[in-house]
Amino acid sequence: MNIIEANNLCKTYIVDKRQNNVLKNVNLRVEKGEMVGIMGPSGSGKSTLLYCISGMDKITSGEVIFDHKDISQLSKNELSELRLNKMGFIFQQMFMMKNLSILDNILLPSVESKKETISRKEKLAKAEALMRKLGIIEIADNDINEVSGGQLQRACIARSMINNPDILFADEPTGALNRQSSKEVMDELCKLNDEGTTIMMVTHDAKVAARCTRILYIVDGQIAGEYKFANNKLEQKEKERLLNTWLMDMGW
Amino acid sequence: MFLRILKKDIKRKKTMNIIMLVFIILASMFVASGLNNVITIANGTNYFFDQAGLGDYIAARKGSGSSTEAFDDILPTIGEIKSYRVDEVIFATKETVETEKGEQAKFDNTMLIQSLEDSGLNYFDINDKVATIVPEGHFYSSYRFAKDNNLKSGDKMIVKSNDVRLNLTFDGTLKDALFGSDMLNNVRLFLSRTDYTNLRDNGVSEPGMIGEFAYIDTDDVAAVDVALTKKCPTLMLNRPRATIESAYFMNMVLAFVTLILSVCLIIVSFVILRFTITFTITEEYREIGVMKAIGIRDIKIKSLYLTKYLVIAVLGSLIGFGVSFPFSKLLLGSVTKMMVLGNGLGIIPNIIGSLLVVLSILGFAYLATGVVKKATPVDAIRKGQTGERFKKKSKLKLSKSRINSITFMACNDVLSNKKKYIAVASVFALCTAFVLVMTNTVNTMKGDGLIDSFSARSDLYYTDQDKQMSFMHEGGNEEIKEYMTKVENDLTDMGMPGHIFVDAQYIFKITSNDNEYSISCQQGIGSTIDMYTFTQGTAPQNMYEIAITPTISSKINAHIGDTVTVDYGTGPVQTTVTAYYQTMNWMGEVIRIHESAPTNLKNCTSWMAFQINFTDHPSANTIKERKQKLIEYLGGKEVQLPNEYQADCIGVVPTMETVQISLLAITLVVVTLVVVLMERSFIIDEKNEIAILKAVGFKDRRIILYHMIRFGIATLVAVIFAGAISIPLTYATIGPIFLSMGMSTMKFIIDPLSVFVMYPLIILAAALLIAFITSLITKTIKSSDTASIE
Repeated sequence: MNIIEANNLCKTYIVDKRQNNVLKNVNLRVEKGEMVGIMGPSGSGKSTLLYCISGMDKITSGEVIFDHKDISQLSKNELSELRLNKMGFIFQQMFMMKNLSILDNILLPSVESKKETISRKEKLAKAEALMRKLGIIEIADNDINEVSGGQLQRACIARSMINNPDILFADEPTGALNRQSSKEVMDELCKLNDEGTTIMMVTHDAKVAARCTRILYIVDGQIAGEYKFANNKLEQKEKERLLNTWLMDMGW
Repeated sequence: MFLRILKKDIKRKKTMNIIMLVFIILASMFVASGLNNVITIANGTNYFFDQAGLGDYIAARKGSGSSTEAFDDILPTIGEIKSYRVDEVIFATKETVETEKGEQAKFDNTMLIQSLEDSGLNYFDINDKVATIVPEGHFYSSYRFAKDNNLKSGDKMIVKSNDVRLNLTFDGTLKDALFGSDMLNNVRLFLSRTDYTNLRDNGVSEPGMIGEFAYIDTDDVAAVDVALTKKCPTLMLNRPRATIESAYFMNMVLAFVTLILSVCLIIVSFVILRFTITFTITEEYREIGVMKAIGIRDIKIKSLYLTKYLVIAVLGSLIGFGVSFPFSKLLLGSVTKMMVLGNGLGIIPNIIGSLLVVLSILGFAYLATGVVKKATPVDAIRKGQTGERFKKKSKLKLSKSRINSITFMACNDVLSNKKKYIAVASVFALCTAFVLVMTNTVNTMKGDGLIDSFSARSDLYYTDQDKQMSFMHEGGNEEIKEYMTKVENDLTDMGMPGHIFVDAQYIFKITSNDNEYSISCQQGIGSTIDMYTFTQGTAPQNMYEIAITPTISSKINAHIGDTVTVDYGTGPVQTTVTAYYQTMNWMGEVIRIHESAPTNLKNCTSWMAFQINFTDHPSANTIKERKQKLIEYLGGKEVQLPNEYQADCIGVVPTMETVQISLLAITLVVVTLVVVLMERSFIIDEKNEIAILKAVGFKDRRIILYHMIRFGIATLVAVIFAGAISIPLTYATIGPIFLSMGMSTMKFIIDPLSVFVMYPLIILAAALLIAFITSLITKTIKSSDTASIE
């Protein structure tokens, strides 16, 4: 069953009176429970695709269907509701509210949301459970400047998961992390995916992409190809090798 | 190379640089005009009096310059007098002056008509130039007279007395140092010498309608006072310059409000400048780090930023300097209508003010760029806007709180950035406190709580100058009693039985401790002494007992129980001081004498209003109805309720109301400026946070509300604090002013609704509204901006 689909999606920017077609008639379907990686050269439109299909950015034409609705037709408030309750976001830069502790940053969307009619105490318990699961419970009361990048990104994952979203969008979630932190973050994202969360992720890293179930390759605003592992139970190293071979064929 | 970096920097950070420029323009404008105003106001009345030639001692007498005992005969015989100037005037009543339509002119007290060409005192036109001539058939007037009669240049007025009828054209207003205050508010008409001589020679039937004012220069005021008291029996006013100065207190309150406001604005400017510079330099930390990392020397980096701020500071200060002149004029506008204010320094204070702003900016910038020298490249990069910080930020715990997310974030932000919000709240509190102090003052003046300090409390008051002047002769005492009996009978016939009485004022020779003084004495006609309020001792019971004010007590060095000699005009009488009382009549320089004291109305110098006490104890509404009936009975003469009469006696209520409204308006302007500029800075600083909030699903209106609540908290704290200190502040600031006017014990009327509810709510609502409008700009920040944040 498709959780999100894009039909003839176009995005055009006008810069200095010059038209720049960033996305050109993109058609895309993502099934529930999938973990889709989006790859491509710099400036190919990867992040723009992620922002357009998540409703964070306006599309120029086409449609994006999520939850049986064309989200390009939704109002700003309806889109906010959607992002708050049904979508989660993780960015390369680990943005958080600088005056709040890590725990409060994670708790914030839950307090703002009216999706679940549970008490503040229960919301707190849920946030702590998420932190425990992601291995960052010990930094709950820390300020954002007191923790490492990997911990902060895991806190961002926890924040994105607090309202049990149907889908998680990640824009280069490991882009600013070292190898060890990258691995930890990806382990957590894979665990979430195993538990049923759909994930769409932009990445430059083939190692990271190799952990996805499907990889889309974007070139010049269009999906130039897509790769799906024939056998998902392959060793990670083997997956990386296969993907690298495919990527080289794509001109990576 | 550096110039190119500088140019790029100014362009790239356009919004922040523009905000900075706006701050500097405002700071320069406030500081330059504020400094000028401070010096001008500090000079205050002295400058005005010196320019006008008011002298050190002012005396007035009945009788013309050609009569015996004229000032020109007496003053040269007093050795202590160095020089003097004399104005001859005609005392006129409302019947003397009318409009073209035949309506009576409006003014309080006696009018003085004089020849401008023969003036002893200097009178100033609207441009503060001394007016020396008025063409025949034209006239100038005091500002108050023109205002009350709505006169514009070219309007006609008729001055008539006996056979003389002068059709005069109004040429403008003149500033009068002696009667320019709200407390001494006689009005003057200035005619040509020809018109004045015609009026004096052919229109004046009674010698008492002419008088002289002398402005005396002396180093020994006390000696002149004693000598003049001895030599001039027709003296009707004798006051040292200091008394006239104290009459300007209320006008100077307005000037001091301007001064306080200027100081306030200067503080606001520097607080905000400090904040803005620190904030903008924090933004530069990363760049500073990068420059250090590539090996640029500290001094070069510092000079780059200092040059940038110097360019902005010089540009802003120059604009601010230019705008400071009209702004200064605007601030002092209401005071300078009746006073000549100035200083001999010209534009120097403005130049110093603007230079001060430039230097302060460079100083702040120099301190803020201290990081260039102290920090290593890595430190600077890490300290950058999006980098690391080493100070605990979070103060509250959302997990432990019950309030909603945006209110929580707003509270937490305020607590996490205390310095910033305390600066905002302090500025708001200061402005609000002044509004509330003025509200308390105006409410007190508009009520009837001070009526006792003018005369006894009554149901109604009315003034009939012509009638009162007609009693000022030998035998007047009998006539006034007959008149009052007739009025009482008429009132009874009209179904409103009442008792009528009036206070007459005299100047009598007083001898205390072997020193002679001429002092105003107040005596009730038709009243009994127990109707007046005394603060200490027992009311005088006969002509041998008097009550004095604390001001007189210290002037003549007499206290309760002491013996003082009073000459009621019939020879010296030994009296005992039996009580103290307080009054604002003549700034407290008055003695109350018993109704049985042997006075004669031929010596009367001035009057209070006729007072009516109804004997059938009518309700407030009935009194209001009777007021209308009385107006009809008196042929349209002004009849006043106690609060109206009190306001009339104080004279400055409209001025103070203007001050109150001006202060509120200025507070709202300050609130607007601070909120707009701070909120714009906050939005720039928090752009990534706003974007992330949107990305996680916060709606625009919630983010706007979040920003509003922060200013709401700061303003709420400010107005609560201002409300709390407003009452003691009123007593501390306005109390001494009333004290100098004769009120030794002062009780202010506090209206809780206006002080604790209405004005705080107006200021809070304004802050929220401005924060709302300014924070609408957060709508332009999109959730997808998270991708483009550095």
